[in-house]
Amino acid sequence: MRPLLILLAVSSALAAPPGEFEKTVLPFLASNCQSCHNSKLKTADLDVSAFLTVESVSAATPAWTKILQKIRTGEMPPKGLPRPDSAQSAAVAKWIETEFEREARLAKPDPGRITARRLNRAEYNNTVRDLLGVDFRPADDFPQDDSVFGFDNIADTLSLSPVLMEKYMVAAEKISRIALFGAPPSKPLVERYQPPYREYELSQTPQFDYDRTGLSMPQSLHWMHRFPVDAEYLIRIVPEGRRPTGSAPVEMGVWLDGKLVRTLDVDAPVEGNTLDLFGMAREFRMRIPAGEHWLAGTVLHIYEGLPKSYNGPNPSDLPEPPVPDISRFLRIAPGTSEAEAARLRKEAQLKIALLRAPANRAYIHYMEVMGPYDPVPGPSAESLKHVFLCGHRDGRHTESCTRTIVAGLARRAFRRPVSEQETAPYLKLAALARQQGGSFNDGIATALQALLVSPDFLFRIEKDRTQTKSGAPGVPVDQHELASRLSYFLWSSMPDEELLRAADQNRLRQPAVLAAQVRRMLQDERASALVDNFAGQWLELRRLESAVPDRDKFPQFEEYLRISMGKETELFFRNLMREDRSVLELLDAKYTFLNQRLAEFYGIPGVKGPEFRKVDLAGTRRGGILTQASVLTVSSYATRTSPVLRGKWVLENLLNAPPPPPPPNVPPLEETKAGTSASLRQVMEAHRANALCASCHSKMDPLGFGLENFNAIGEWRDKDGAFPVDSSGVLPDGRTFQGPAELKSILLQNKGAFADSITEKMLTYALGRGLERFDRPAVEQITAKLAAGDYRFSALVTAIVESLPFEMRRPK
Amino acid sequence: MIITKKHLSRRTLLRGLGTALALPLLDAMQPAMLPAAATAGASAPTRLAFTYIPNGVNYAHWRPSGVGSGYQLSRILKPLEKFREDMLVLTGLDIHNGNALGDGGGDHARAGASYLTGIHCKKTTGADIQGGISADQIAARAMTTRLTSLELGCEDSRTVGNCDSGFSCAYTNSISWRSPTMPMPPETNPRVVFERLFGADNLKVDDATRARRTLLRTSILDTVAERSRQLMGSVGPSDKRKLDEYMTGVREVERRIQSSEADSGRFQPAIEAPAGVPVDFAEYAKLMFDLQILAFQADLTRVSTFMIGREGSVRTYGEIGVPDPHHPITHHQNRPDFLEKVSKINEFHVQLYSYFLDRMKAAQDGDGSLFDHSLLVYGGGLCDPNRHQHENVPTLLLGKGNGKIRGGRHVVYPDGTPLTNLYMTLLDHMNVRPDSIGDSTGKLDYLAGV
Repeated sequence: MRPLLILLAVSSALAAPPGEFEKTVLPFLASNCQSCHNSKLKTADLDVSAFLTVESVSAATPAWTKILQKIRTGEMPPKGLPRPDSAQSAAVAKWIETEFEREARLAKPDPGRITARRLNRAEYNNTVRDLLGVDFRPADDFPQDDSVFGFDNIADTLSLSPVLMEKYMVAAEKISRIALFGAPPSKPLVERYQPPYREYELSQTPQFDYDRTGLSMPQSLHWMHRFPVDAEYLIRIVPEGRRPTGSAPVEMGVWLDGKLVRTLDVDAPVEGNTLDLFGMAREFRMRIPAGEHWLAGTVLHIYEGLPKSYNGPNPSDLPEPPVPDISRFLRIAPGTSEAEAARLRKEAQLKIALLRAPANRAYIHYMEVMGPYDPVPGPSAESLKHVFLCGHRDGRHTESCTRTIVAGLARRAFRRPVSEQETAPYLKLAALARQQGGSFNDGIATALQALLVSPDFLFRIEKDRTQTKSGAPGVPVDQHELASRLSYFLWSSMPDEELLRAADQNRLRQPAVLAAQVRRMLQDERASALVDNFAGQWLELRRLESAVPDRDKFPQFEEYLRISMGKETELFFRNLMREDRSVLELLDAKYTFLNQRLAEFYGIPGVKGPEFRKVDLAGTRRGGILTQASVLTVSSYATRTSPVLRGKWVLENLLNAPPPPPPPNVPPLEETKAGTSASLRQVMEAHRANALCASCHSKMDPLGFGLENFNAIGEWRDKDGAFPVDSSGVLPDGRTFQGPAELKSILLQNKGAFADSITEKMLTYALGRGLERFDRPAVEQITAKLAAGDYRFSALVTAIVESLPFEMRRPK
Repeated sequence: MIITKKHLSRRTLLRGLGTALALPLLDAMQPAMLPAAATAGASAPTRLAFTYIPNGVNYAHWRPSGVGSGYQLSRILKPLEKFREDMLVLTGLDIHNGNALGDGGGDHARAGASYLTGIHCKKTTGADIQGGISADQIAARAMTTRLTSLELGCEDSRTVGNCDSGFSCAYTNSISWRSPTMPMPPETNPRVVFERLFGADNLKVDDATRARRTLLRTSILDTVAERSRQLMGSVGPSDKRKLDEYMTGVREVERRIQSSEADSGRFQPAIEAPAGVPVDFAEYAKLMFDLQILAFQADLTRVSTFMIGREGSVRTYGEIGVPDPHHPITHHQNRPDFLEKVSKINEFHVQLYSYFLDRMKAAQDGDGSLFDHSLLVYGGGLCDPNRHQHENVPTLLLGKGNGKIRGGRHVVYPDGTPLTNLYMTLLDHMNVRPDSIGDSTGKLDYLAGV
């Protein structure tokens, strides 16, 4: 508990100029609130008549927070009662905010306290991978972790249900068996990927300038496939559709992670004037390393090898079937008028033309992955190395090895030194397993299984300590707790040996050591967890995977595009981290990462092939995450853009000014009108005519309007339906802009808001708790260090790692 | 379904299911399931199982010679020799509504859609599909088992769009229809079927192993519970809350282990939980047959349908020397090499079916075997696939149907006898008596004797 008296004394000593509270706030409360919230009625358990002094703000913070919120949203006074003047409301709100800030500055520094954190799914997977060298993502079967404050690693919400406990038991058994004995032999299985029916325009005329790889063509098929083990797999690719008779065999390409790994011919049977590709499966085997890979099947150079009469590139030299005799389609009775005969002739010719097979009606129907065949048997060398710390080869252990192995595993699983007394029960379990007839390795597996369901493994529990140094703002977390804080922040995983050793030697808190560790960790491959889990959640990119843009409105949106969109932002963020660039480049950068599919989608020429590469954006309309299709898609509805959603996205994620939730009973937007009888903008402006709505929408909507040149999947457009896009806007402070580029430069003028935003988001993620008012000074210190460090990524991470809430813990 | 991604990623699925994804995981945590038939004194219920073969048959090799009890098994039916006395070969049954009736092509779609419904389905590739209620679903409505019916298949397919000359894929993919607009797509992943029946991770282990495993698990739980009790003493209130959750979880898991140990009468599936779709087709089909038998034994359902392939199937059968896709070669144009291949596939399917029959006979059920208490129909919605013939469709009836069926005969019905009349009789034996099924005109005679 905070010593309230001291606080009160301090605040009254430095109170705001006298009179402001009495002049503005008290009369406002008296005339607008007190008729219900008084000492007798206490409506909603609130009595504003008790708030007579400035000090009441710090004494009753929750009540004042609520008051502020109700005044801001205009929710109070309720409908039907006289409304206060809006300038007056704004002044009162402003006063409360200022008072809050003043309190925060004066308050005693407080590092807060982080609840014991259960490993979330990503952390569990990574920890098991790094602990035992087995990477089969056991947590993928666990229930989804809830997320709050935008992240799924928040200690207080990571609950542990009985169902999850069961899953932990099952997973622990499986993991320990795999680590010691290898994956159980499994029969090869089939997994099929078959996309929904794809409609695309059939064309009689071949093209010359097109994607010969077929990767970006609608005939192709793409998906991310997880291969469970290193092994050989059989890949089957099955075409559908038809080719004109007389075409050369169709060539299908199979691609793994953007590289063509196999070309397969299909010489299809003739059916009349077409070749029927249906069911003409082709297959081959290849060794594929475990893990997630991007698989694709395409029709290669689809406009080549057509009969000569199609006039396409590299035509076939096979004989073509003769053009059907017109007489088979034409019967002109004697005495038919010349005009009627001409009409019939034309009709017959049309019939013949329709018989001609389209040039591009061949596509990949489905693909199957079968396997694993010949997986590497037994436990992996990697996992044995992690387990058998006694230094003996498997099978040559002495009895004392059990102790060495279990103690070593416990130290790493619990991420700290472990006493003999602590390991004793696990050794007992190993002994019990052997009494039951198990082998040496069975004993180790049983102990390991118990370690993996122990609270010391599943939770990161930090000890509550009493204050030792008087006047210190908190108690430093111990070296090993700090090592875990670091590793779960940057890697979503356990500390590695180097970190553990630095902690063992009590060196981790030395500024030079800490900074060097941060630099090392950010360059490590494991830091990709920060991209996946921090950026993925902060920028809401995880939602891209489940985004379902309307198929009729956006037929271009298919798996390849989805995969490419996600990849762009991932690579962009990763590069920023790896090259330690300015975080301001997130708002605007002169480069991005594109492959041919995405470059064509953006209308940027000169990018050929499926590999992603850094592309100069000078002279284009793109640059920064706000112009990336991933972000533009997740901030849209399935059928249309939403300036509100996008405005809210910008406010929440980039400006740290989340709008309050809409008040109850808001009139809905008349969406059906948009694009037909009025532009979406006009419909929304009508919505904003409502004063209650305007207070928030005047902040949100202009930001969204500025991005209206990008449609709901991020494609550039000049028109919305029948109406020209108006991407101009006026911000509440009166600044105006024309289009996305000017909007970005306005955002860049306000570096402070962005720095504040990324700091709060990353600090929340790093701590695994929501930020409190007492964290404000820490945030301000971090943003100051960030600015001083030229906004470099490492400056942000280092400042967070050195901050009070990261290094310390509130004493007992 | 075979684990298809279909734009629904694993992550999305998990998110969708969220915490609803529950229950039993550890092999010792099965809910008690007593096969009804095992309860003393009760007479065994009658089971109904349809097995569907796609793309018709080489009829010359299908039809037995001779009629009545003195008939000679045909080449394709040879693998069923040992079931001869328990089998009825039914000739002359028609699916009139499978014909074009003015709709043009699309015979495979209509074959699938009309097979169990006797209804002429609406020609559409859109969402406005319209078929009929299938015989198995009429029976299922009268059932009170945990699953009123089970729909299985060996071939996954797209479920929207055009599958056959302007007909929706729903028609070629599902023979089972709950309502005229609601097809019951077959589940093609044996793992999913098993989990639906028995929960996940139900491993086949012997009693000693089970007991040992239970002992170790209980000891592990004791160890970690003790550890969290120690921790409780040294942590703050919010951490205590977390540890409380943990302790509750541990106790709950312990309780379930104990209660399932105490429960001796629970049903033990005799197979290991399948991990997915086996690559080997014979193994795959046999597994799907096994799952039906398990579901019958545990009395989780009494009605099943199984599509060996979807109608119009293009599966290849390299393992029996037919590397060609099935559907194209059934348009054999009377070429001897094509006809030979069609026969080989037909024989292969019948062989797989004989595995099912063997297992049904071996499965103890009340005072007899499952076979004694079942009505088992084998056949398809096309006769000669080259001509897309919907008359005289291949049909076998096996099982003793609780004494209602007398096999050992080849019965030839007059032209124009609706196949649905057979279903009227079978449902009658299940004590389900609809006024009609699709185009049925009455019940089918001669199943219990001449």
